[in-house]
Amino acid sequence: MINNRSLLIVAGLAAVAWVGSNTLYIVDETERAIKLQFGEIVEADIQPGLHFKVPITNTVRTFDARVLTLELDTSRYLTLEKKAVIVDSYVKWKIVDSARYYQATSGQEQVAQRLIIPRVDEALRNQFGRLELQEIIAERRDELMEEPTQQLNEVLREELGVAILDIRIKRIDLPDEVTQAVYERMRTERNREARQYRAQGQEEAAKLRANAERRRQVLLAEAQSKSETLRGQGDAEAASIYAQAYQQDAEFFRFYRSLDAYRASFDGKSDLLVLEPDSDFFRYLNGASPQPQQSSNADGS
Amino acid sequence: MAWNEPGGGGKQHDPWSGGGRRGGGGNGNGGGGNNNQGPPDLDEALKKFQDKLNRMLGGRGKRGGGGNGGGGGGKRSVFALPGLLAIIVLAIWAASGFYLVDQSERGVVLRFGKFEQIVNPGLQWNPPIIDDVRMVNVTGVRSVSQTKSMLTRDENIVKVDISAQYQVADPRDYALNVRTPDLSIENALDSALRQVVGGTDMDEILTSGRALLADTVSTRLQTYLDSYGLGVRILAINIESTSAPDAVQDAFDDVIKAREDRQRLINDAIGYANAIIPEAQGQAQRLIEQAQGYRESVVAKAQGESNRFNSLLTEYRQAPQVMRDRMYLDTMTEVLSNTSKVLIDINKSSPLMVLPLDKLNRGNASGADSQQDVNVTPSLIEQLRNNSAGSSNSSQTSGIRREGRQ
Repeated sequence: MINNRSLLIVAGLAAVAWVGSNTLYIVDETERAIKLQFGEIVEADIQPGLHFKVPITNTVRTFDARVLTLELDTSRYLTLEKKAVIVDSYVKWKIVDSARYYQATSGQEQVAQRLIIPRVDEALRNQFGRLELQEIIAERRDELMEEPTQQLNEVLREELGVAILDIRIKRIDLPDEVTQAVYERMRTERNREARQYRAQGQEEAAKLRANAERRRQVLLAEAQSKSETLRGQGDAEAASIYAQAYQQDAEFFRFYRSLDAYRASFDGKSDLLVLEPDSDFFRYLNGASPQPQQSSNADGS
Repeated sequence: MAWNEPGGGGKQHDPWSGGGRRGGGGNGNGGGGNNNQGPPDLDEALKKFQDKLNRMLGGRGKRGGGGNGGGGGGKRSVFALPGLLAIIVLAIWAASGFYLVDQSERGVVLRFGKFEQIVNPGLQWNPPIIDDVRMVNVTGVRSVSQTKSMLTRDENIVKVDISAQYQVADPRDYALNVRTPDLSIENALDSALRQVVGGTDMDEILTSGRALLADTVSTRLQTYLDSYGLGVRILAINIESTSAPDAVQDAFDDVIKAREDRQRLINDAIGYANAIIPEAQGQAQRLIEQAQGYRESVVAKAQGESNRFNSLLTEYRQAPQVMRDRMYLDTMTEVLSNTSKVLIDINKSSPLMVLPLDKLNRGNASGADSQQDVNVTPSLIEQLRNNSAGSSNSSQTSGIRREGRQ
């Protein structure tokens, strides 16, 4: 009896559980839901929380209500001046109108992606085609992304119940062959710069050396000039001293200096004097008497 | 909302109170559904337990107690096995509602999927199944780093090594708003970095502009993330390195080398200048000193000579002739004693006399005074014999010979 009753209770609980699980459903904070009654939407944008439905009759579809990321494949776009660029981009999007979203995509995210990607791609392609590379890279990148975001946001809200929050370009690169050319250009620029630095160094060094040499030359020349001046001064001073002394008796000076000169001139052993016995010096050698010598000496003075 | 109610009460209080109350309610219902079957002692025990609970709970227990009284009063053996099971299940359920929130975490509580609250660190209880708690680390600093090559404004390519450090600022937003928060940050960082680099010249990125670059990227990235409602705060953007692409790195290195070369050449030149100028200064000083020395010596010499002359002159003036002769003879003595001599009486010898100067000189150069004397003396004696007479001459001859030998 107990077993039977227990079974009954268990069966009853099971029934309650089945009914509960089929009449109650939870919509998570990260989701939005729609309630369908035999395929017809009876309630849309069901907010998070616990909700009722009629079993079998009603089915519930939930969709991710978070911000979703859609990364676009790498594409090759042409700029206004027909330069090719390689572009990576991503789209931030969000389901905002779950009923419309369900109608448009049967609630399948992949379908939504397939619908969104070409639109974004085309919008970006158009934007790239309107601008020059320089503008795209440096100046008007925000603008480039903002316009498609706004346009697509409006359109896709209507069509897919999807909000486009952001279209962002990550990579804008040049194609490989162009990249090589850029590298080549960069390399030549660097080479030029390097050469310039080296040449500057040589120029600077040459200037410094020349300047140093000039200063040396000037220094030496000035010293030379000063030295000559000093020598001259010395000579002059000496001359004046000599003059002062010698002019007291010019004749004696001549005699005195001549003797000095003889002494200095016939200094070496290699000098050979060829003498005449007639000279005044040999007067006595030649046997002259002392008397004439006296007179001749008097003549010489 | 009715379903939320009991849990709503339970969250604030001792879990046993909620469990107990709900247990009481369940039993009351069960009592209505089932009849008084089951072991009495168990029944008793449960009853006791319930009473105890009710007493403990006091005022709050009233409602539960009333319900229990209604159910238990009529059918005493209402607590059958299923009831017991239900109580055990409830107890397990309630016990499994405990959880710990670490100091670094916040719990985002969803009640039936709907955001309820954020719980702080500590021991927490939330009714399981009804509540879903998602833990988010809010104090940990996360980081994402990238190394990318990108175009600059002047259409060069640079390689940038960047990392972003961030922290969850709003756990609710972080847990609920974006499906792939970390990937979103990576993407946004990539985009922001490329855009900022695209607006900057290469030289600036490689050298001075790095700090500014980090600032700008940080601001931009934060704006993006805020617009996605990511609930994240960027703490720091580090530009770890910026460099030229590998393909042209050598050329860039060469520029740096060239810059060093320039400095080296300049340093060499400065070194050269520093070496030669002091040297020249030294030389100049030497020249001047020499000249000064010359001047002083010349003057001193002049002074000396003039003093000597003056002294001589004083003496000379006292006896001019004697002085003159003496000086003359002294000088001649000195001159003739120092030199080789050939004395020739030109008038009395043949006009075609050949004087072997070469030979005389050669003999002289070989340096022996005695040889010279041998050569000279015979002719000298000859001439002396020819030209002279008298005894007074002999002393003269010997004087000359003596001097020649010196």
